[in-house]
Amino acid sequence: MEAVITVFLTILGIYFSLGLLFGLYFIFLGATKVDPFMTDSKKKVRLLLFPGVVATWPFLVGKLIKPKTLN
Amino acid sequence: MGLDYTLVLWNKHKKTYDKIIGFGMLLYLLVFIILTLVLNPETTAETMIIRAFGSLAVLMLHIILIIGPLSRLNPQFLPILYNRRHLGVSMFLAALVHGVFSIIQFHTLGNVNPIYAVFTSNMDYGSLTNFPFQVLGFLALLILFFMASTSHDFFLKNLSPKIWKGLHMMVYLAYALIIMHVFLGAFQQETSPFTIGIMVIGFMLITSLHLISALKESKIDGLKSEKADDGWLKVCGADEIPNDRAKIFTVGKERVAIFKYDGKLSAIHNVCKHQGGPLGEGKIVDGCITCPWHGYQYLPQNGQSPPPFTEKVVTYGLRLDEGMIYINPDGFEEGTEVEPVKC
Repeated sequence: MEAVITVFLTILGIYFSLGLLFGLYFIFLGATKVDPFMTDSKKKVRLLLFPGVVATWPFLVGKLIKPKTLN
Repeated sequence: MGLDYTLVLWNKHKKTYDKIIGFGMLLYLLVFIILTLVLNPETTAETMIIRAFGSLAVLMLHIILIIGPLSRLNPQFLPILYNRRHLGVSMFLAALVHGVFSIIQFHTLGNVNPIYAVFTSNMDYGSLTNFPFQVLGFLALLILFFMASTSHDFFLKNLSPKIWKGLHMMVYLAYALIIMHVFLGAFQQETSPFTIGIMVIGFMLITSLHLISALKESKIDGLKSEKADDGWLKVCGADEIPNDRAKIFTVGKERVAIFKYDGKLSAIHNVCKHQGGPLGEGKIVDGCITCPWHGYQYLPQNGQSPPPFTEKVVTYGLRLDEGMIYINPDGFEEGTEVEPVKC
């Protein structure tokens, strides 16, 4: 059981560490690349979104690297 | 609807609502602390904080979970539904205080990582009576974090409504974990029939309201439509639909809302592109179908959000024959212009 717990918490730790790195990139550079509507949004909004970006970074990375399609 | 993101979408009503939430939380904490001091004066400050915020979060979660079915049963509850987001974030903050104080008090005294200690300080996972209930609370708090941190339109748009909705439906898993956390944990130490009774009543209330609202929904799906020779479905008389409102029908496997406005009839798919709100329970405002949940709008004749917005829903062909409305069950592409039927 202890091994399962260690693996689970290690994965959780890695997930959130990568999320923190992506969150920092999002705040300073990536926000407008992920969503053009962020262009006119204030810095406070990016800070508010930071925890959610840390939590959901795989989806946002996917959106960032996905080729843009026209509507 | 907006073209950029703001910190919080506040208006006069939302501010009033938030004041009620803040005042209600403070009042609960105050009453809890006074009652604890009177009834159980030997309780330490840390324990009082842990219990006060934990029980507050459980109470708020129950309110959150009954708002949905209540507003489906009675539209008067809809304004609370529109503002549920702030209640959810406030509930998470209360649960976070409970979790952080619990970890500080019970898991920071040794030389083991406190999070690791939550999982390993009691390894009796095979026992029902001595199960490490803290783990269940931790997992529930993790789910609530995912939900609270993504409670913003940015995430709804960028995760896609489907993923966002799926993520937020995990509230039911969090609720199940919290129920077990409370029953296995608090009741291992405290077997107060009052506390057990409150939890049981809360669970029964949530379950029964969900069942009753599901029964109401199934009645809509159970409405039978008469099929004409050309495959169109006879749904109802034009006079059965009130002005600037809609009636909802199940066409094929999809729900369709038929709106009456300005002496005309139009039909669109019932599900809003924003958060899946029931468009047919909304009304016509400024010539647009307006979703009752968050005010997203669509033009009735083409199912398109007015420019510069880009949301589109499926539209349906209608015809009127001797006062009866017939609908073509094969919907058009999203956003297709359909000539409204005069009635």
